[in-house]
Order: sequence, then C-alpha cells, then structure tokens
Amino acid sequence: MLSRLSLLVLAVTLPVIAHAADRPVLNVYTHPSFAAEWGPGPGVKEAFEKQCECTLNYTVLNSGGDILQRLRLEGASTPADVVLGLDTATMETALQTGLIAEHDRSLEALDLPIDWNDAHFIPYDWGYFAFVYDTEQLPEPPTSFDDLINSPDDLKIIIQDPRTSTPGLGLLLWMHSVYGEEAPAKWAQLNDKILATTQSWSDGYFSLFMNGEAPMILSYSTSPAYHMAVDKTDRYQAVQFEEGHYLQVEVAALVESSQQKPLARQFLDFMLTPEFQTHIPLKNVMYPAIDLGDDLPSVFNRLISPEHTFFLPPAEVAGQRRQLVNDWLDAMTR
Amino acid sequence: MILVALGLGSMLITAGGLDLSTVLGSRYLRGVVWFTVWQASLSVLFSLALALPVALALARYRHFPGRSALLRVMELSLVLPTIVAVSGIIGVYGRQGWATGLLTEWLPGHGWNLYGINGILLAHVFFNAPLAARVMLQSLEAVPPSRLRIASQLGLRGWWLWRSVKWPALRPVLPGLSALVFTLCFTSFAIIMTLGGGPAATTLEVAIYQALRFEFDFPQAAVLAVIQLLICGSLWRLVFRQRLESSLLPHRQFAHAVPLKPWRAQSALSGALLLMFSLFLLLPLLAIGIRGLPALLALDASPTLYGRLLPATGRSLMIALPAGVGSVAASLLILASANKAKNSILKAIPTTTGYLPLIVPPLVLGTGLFLLLRPGLGNHAQGWVLVALINGLMALPFVIQVLRGPLSSLDGHSRRVAYQLGILGWYRWRWIYWPLLRRPMALGLAYGIALSMGDFGVIALFGSPGQPTLPVLLYQQLGSYQVAAAAGTGLWLLLLLVFIFGLLSAIGRPPAHQTRSRLPETTLEPKHA
Repeated sequence: MLSRLSLLVLAVTLPVIAHAADRPVLNVYTHPSFAAEWGPGPGVKEAFEKQCECTLNYTVLNSGGDILQRLRLEGASTPADVVLGLDTATMETALQTGLIAEHDRSLEALDLPIDWNDAHFIPYDWGYFAFVYDTEQLPEPPTSFDDLINSPDDLKIIIQDPRTSTPGLGLLLWMHSVYGEEAPAKWAQLNDKILATTQSWSDGYFSLFMNGEAPMILSYSTSPAYHMAVDKTDRYQAVQFEEGHYLQVEVAALVESSQQKPLARQFLDFMLTPEFQTHIPLKNVMYPAIDLGDDLPSVFNRLISPEHTFFLPPAEVAGQRRQLVNDWLDAMTR
Repeated sequence: MILVALGLGSMLITAGGLDLSTVLGSRYLRGVVWFTVWQASLSVLFSLALALPVALALARYRHFPGRSALLRVMELSLVLPTIVAVSGIIGVYGRQGWATGLLTEWLPGHGWNLYGINGILLAHVFFNAPLAARVMLQSLEAVPPSRLRIASQLGLRGWWLWRSVKWPALRPVLPGLSALVFTLCFTSFAIIMTLGGGPAATTLEVAIYQALRFEFDFPQAAVLAVIQLLICGSLWRLVFRQRLESSLLPHRQFAHAVPLKPWRAQSALSGALLLMFSLFLLLPLLAIGIRGLPALLALDASPTLYGRLLPATGRSLMIALPAGVGSVAASLLILASANKAKNSILKAIPTTTGYLPLIVPPLVLGTGLFLLLRPGLGNHAQGWVLVALINGLMALPFVIQVLRGPLSSLDGHSRRVAYQLGILGWYRWRWIYWPLLRRPMALGLAYGIALSMGDFGVIALFGSPGQPTLPVLLYQQLGSYQVAAAAGTGLWLLLLLVFIFGLLSAIGRPPAHQTRSRLPETTLEPKHA
C-alpha cells in the first residue's frame, strides 16, 4: 500500500527534478532570512557566480540549529560544502561534531567589536542583543537592567525562551554576564515584567509586539534600521542599556568532507569582500563584518552604540549552557 | 504505517538505550509531564462543555440562515496554521484586543489576563470545540427518525428527551472524542509557548523540541517521545477496549428531520448561544482579515507580493494535493482491511496505526525517517515527496475519522441485496459505496489537503530548495521584519483554506435527483449537514 502511495506521489512531483550540472556546484546550507528572495542570498549568488564559473546552491533550513542538526544527521556523507548561518551559541557544538574544517583564511578584513581569530569559523555579520521598544506606547523606556527590574509593574516585556531560541539564549548569557552569581535572583525579580516567553523571535515580534501587546521586546540593536530604512518609520527604537550589550556573531565554515574545498575557500574569501557584505546591512539587518565605509546605509549611524560589549567564548557557552538554563528554569518557576 | 514504526525505531536505535529514570528523577521534567496532562485534561473539559450545547442547538435548528457557513467555519479552525490563529486570538482577547477593550469599558479592573492558563485554554477551545461540536452534531443527526417521532408523540422534553434520545446518541462518541481532543492538546506546542506566559507552562512536546533541536540530546528526546506515546497510547487503548470508538463520526443521516418543538425560552437561549459561538469563532478570523487586508490590497506592492504568493501557492498545492489524495486512499485501505479482518486483534492493528501519527511528535518521526532514508535522499524532489508523505500520514487520523462511519454503516441487508443482484467489483463501488462515500471523501480530502497546506514543521526539517511553500514564505517574512506582508500571507492562506473547504464541499454534494433514483431500497440517502 505504501509503495503504491509513494509511487503516486512520485508521479506527481517527479517533473520537478531537472538539473543541468556541467559546472561545479557549491552547496551552501543556510537559513531562510539569508536565502529569502529579499535576503542577501540571491544577490550574493549572482555576484559569486560571476567570478567562480560555478553554480551556488542554497539548501534552506529553518535556523542555525537546524543547519547543525542536519549536518550531524548526515555526518561525513553530507553534500554540504559550506555552512552559513551558525552563531556563537552553536559554534562549539558544530566543532565537536568533527565535521568542520579549518578555513586557513586571512581574517584581516574583519571589523568586529571584539578580536576574532578562530581557526574554523568566519564571521559574516554581527549585532547586539537589545530591547526594542515602541516609542508611542513607551516614551521613556528603562535604560538599564536595574531600571527595568525596578520599573512600575504595568511595564511588560516580551522575551524568547532560551531553550528554543537564539536571542532567548542571548538574553540568558547577557544577564549572566551582567550579574554573574546574582543572575537567577534578578531573573526572579524580572519575572513580573515578562508578559510572554515565546518559542521564537518571530512569534513574539509578529503575534505580540506588532499587535501592541507589550511595548518592549527582546530583539537586535539593528532591528530599528529596517523599520527606519524600509518601513520609513522611527516608531521602533532600541534602548541602550548602561551595563553594556551582549554580542551576536553569525558565522560560516568549511565542511570537512567537502569535495570542493578550493571553491569553498574561494567563497569564504568572497564573503569578506564588499560584493558580499553590501548585501548584509539592509537585507540581513545586521552590521557587516568588514568596514564598508560610506557604503554603510546612513540609518546604521542612528543605531545605539553600546559602551561595553559582553561576549563569552563559544567553548565556555557550550560548557555552561545547560546549567544556566536549569538555573533560569528554577528561578522562573519557583 | 510501517513508516511510523520505522521512524520511531530508527530514532530509538540512534538514541541507544532508554533511561526513564532521567525523566522521573528530574523535578523539571516531572513538572512538565504533570503540566501537560493537566492542561490537556482541562482543555478537553472546556472544549466538550462548550461543544455539547452548541451541537444540541445546531441539531435542534436545522434551517437557519448561515448554518452551513457556520459549519464550514467549524471545519476550518482545526487546520489554521497556529501562528496565524494565535495572532487572531491575541487581536481579540489580548491586552490590546477588541474584547478586552470592551470588557475594560464595562468592567474596569476585571483582571482578565490572556497570558497563562487562560490563554492556553482559550486557544485550545477555539481549535477543538468546533471539531467536537461537529462530531457530536453528526451523531445527533444520526438518530433514526422513528425514534424521534415516537419521542415527539410522547411529548418528551427536557431531561426525558435527553435521557432517552440524545444521551444514547452521544455516549458512544464521547470517549473517542475526548481522547482525540486530549491528544491534540497534549501535543500542542507553539500555542503553549506564545500564550503560556513563561517556562512554567511547558509541555512534553516543547521539551522534545528542546532536546532535539537545541541540545542535540537524542536519548532524552527519545525518552520523552516514549513517555508521550505511553500516556496518549494507553488512553487510546482504553477507548479501543471499550469498543466505543467505532462510531466516532457516524454517517447515517436521514432525509427528513423530525422537528421537536422547542419551548420559547429554549429557542432564545439556543439562538444566543449559537450567536456567541459564531462570534467566538469569527472574531479572531476577522482580526486576521483586518490585519492582512492592507497588504493584499496595497496596489503599489502587488506585483512583488503576488509574484511571491502565487508560486508559493503552486508549490504548496503540489505537496498538499498528493498528501490529501494519499491520505484518503490510505484511509480507505486501512478501513477496508479493518472491516475484513475477523480476528479482533488483527482488526485493531490498522486502526491503531491510523492514530499513531497523532501521538508521535512529527519532529521525532521526521528525524527518525531522515536518519533511515538519508542515503537515498539524493535531491530536493525526493525530499518533497517525503514531506508530502509525512503530511499525508499526519492527516490520517482525521481522514479516518471522517470516512469510518459511512464505510462501516453499510448494513448487512444492503450488502446481501447487492450480492444477490450480482453487483460486484467496480459496480459495487460505483453504485453502493460511492454515493455513501462521496461527501465524506470530499471532506476527508479537504482535511488532508488543508492540514498539509498549513504544515510548517515537516517541511522545515527537510529543507526547501530556496523556493518557499506558503507557510515557509510566511515564516521567511516573519523572520525578516516583513510584518505586514506576513499578515497578508496569513490571510491569503486562510482564504485559500476557505476556498478548498467550500469547493470540496460543493463537489461532494451529490446531485439530489441522481442518488434518489438509483437503488432506492439499498442506498441510504446522504443528506447534508
């Protein structure tokens, strides 16, 4: 019965398969916000294919976590040559799979708030985690964690769950960096302010924040750039916290089992050139990983510039994550 | 069917041994199991409590304007993508929602808060009460007219009518219905997290996601999946053992309704109830419409907007149509083999496997299948076939529900007559089964297609080759700040689902004169609810 069923399904979908593969193909695993029609993906593909005599192929997985998951499931037989879209929270786990090769690239062009000399992963964009607020609902937002915790009870915020979301984990690490041992106690105090802890950033942003349910949401310091440049509104702004902000870096890496290593390395080099990076600011809504000079859209000059940057080495994050999440759960359900 | 077992099996093998003590030993996980069971039980209670009076009222009034539209909307709520529905619910009952606004005006200081168990229950009732009412309505409509006539002649009313006519009709479907709603709420995920208010509201499915996607802890995920399987599985076993499930979604419907005269107060009450229920279902849909309409109507954005929507719709249909057709075909085969089997254990196997996809978390199933089929997954097209296959599998429980009644309702007498007349093979199918199955098959197909259209989880796991289906497009837009466009896509998807249900319901409607003229003695006339 099943074979009959699958035959039927095959018959309907088979015409989709159509490939012309005389040029080498570079397979890149990435996530939707990069590969979407309006994301940097299409522009990058066009620019790279002009100079590489190859075909650049994206396989789109739901998130950085899913890219890693797919890589683990496929093991050494993975067709991926490059993975693009992991972040500092998933780097260490990716490294432990043994499926990531050293890149051997020069990282001189990099322009990040921290020094970066990782042998395996190359950043392609970065940003800070920050609270974005609605200026119409909340003209005077709290300007520090302490301020937020001590604000009146009717101020509500939306955060994401560190168990299922990257920014959610970012906030956990951020609070940990600011408060250290005291963090769980501070979380317990913050609990009253939290309207919802959503599974993903999208759930919170779309269903809650944009419906006006709460005036503040955990997001990125670069979010307002999109609203200002594309939506043409100054209504949504990020608030700069006095304690400093936690850094988020998105990275790409070469896959060990790749049959196209020279081509993949060429792509990683290309990644740190203006032809790639000019697509980042407004299409990925993050800071470019190199200095673009005047090519950086002007709205980026109107974003917050934190005085202090928090960043925990990926290995440390991997080692502590489970404990931190458990402490958080205890604090929030006490 | 085997797919389910294989998927779970390969996951278990990859996971190695099972260590249940890790779960029982952890305060957090014990809490998760407890909360999951608790919220699912409450959701069942509230859903059925609302569904019962609604079904009774709908059964009492068979002709009023908008009745069939209301029935269509009731079918719809089950298949709406959760993020779209949740956004609609928040638009009505959230802190800035319409209903909350009204409430504040009338009753300042009411203390209503959507976030927490309130929101979870509200959303679960929104999704499940219409389904439950729909099923109950069908059982009530299946009460033989002779019984109703006698009840009417005896002047039975109120408690006595309920005791002698309605309760016997409803009793057999309640256990299966409760189990179905319980399972749906037990495995609920995005709703719980968006509306739950915090990590205190965590279900097993969330914990499985966490273990699988974030901690890459296969053994943990497998243990949790097995616990889920044990709890829901034993519930279903209980239902099967009672042999009460067989008439869930029964079919026997009769041409002439016997009106039981309601008293005036009752009819006012029922009218009010139906009105409230319609508002309860329609307001969130209206909120979705109002949010999405500007994007769909905006003329300047139209070329790119529809340039994305239309191809995505095509791709979605390409997966959903085979998934729908496949699930209907598979359901028919499962039911046929169940009907033929003599042995009661053999009989239970196909039906049990039909329910498994409800209980096994799709993520676990997908991951297991991926592990299993990986070497053979050469290209995207095969990935898409797999997506269609899993979508079809996930629709099975619902399609089986819809088809079971009519297929087994063919009585011995009709079958004997058909046999004596030598109506076999194709003719038997064409003249005996088809008139009976035409409408349920259309409804089953609609469920199959719609469930697959709204699916995001499975396709996200297998990855799409850059070209999004509708739900993937929705999530892409959500992920890149295109809030207005995403609202438009959500509305588009909603309209498409309405269209599919409407179209298939129209196709399923047999031309009245045709069915009546052939084999009048043997065919039960299907009548529209």
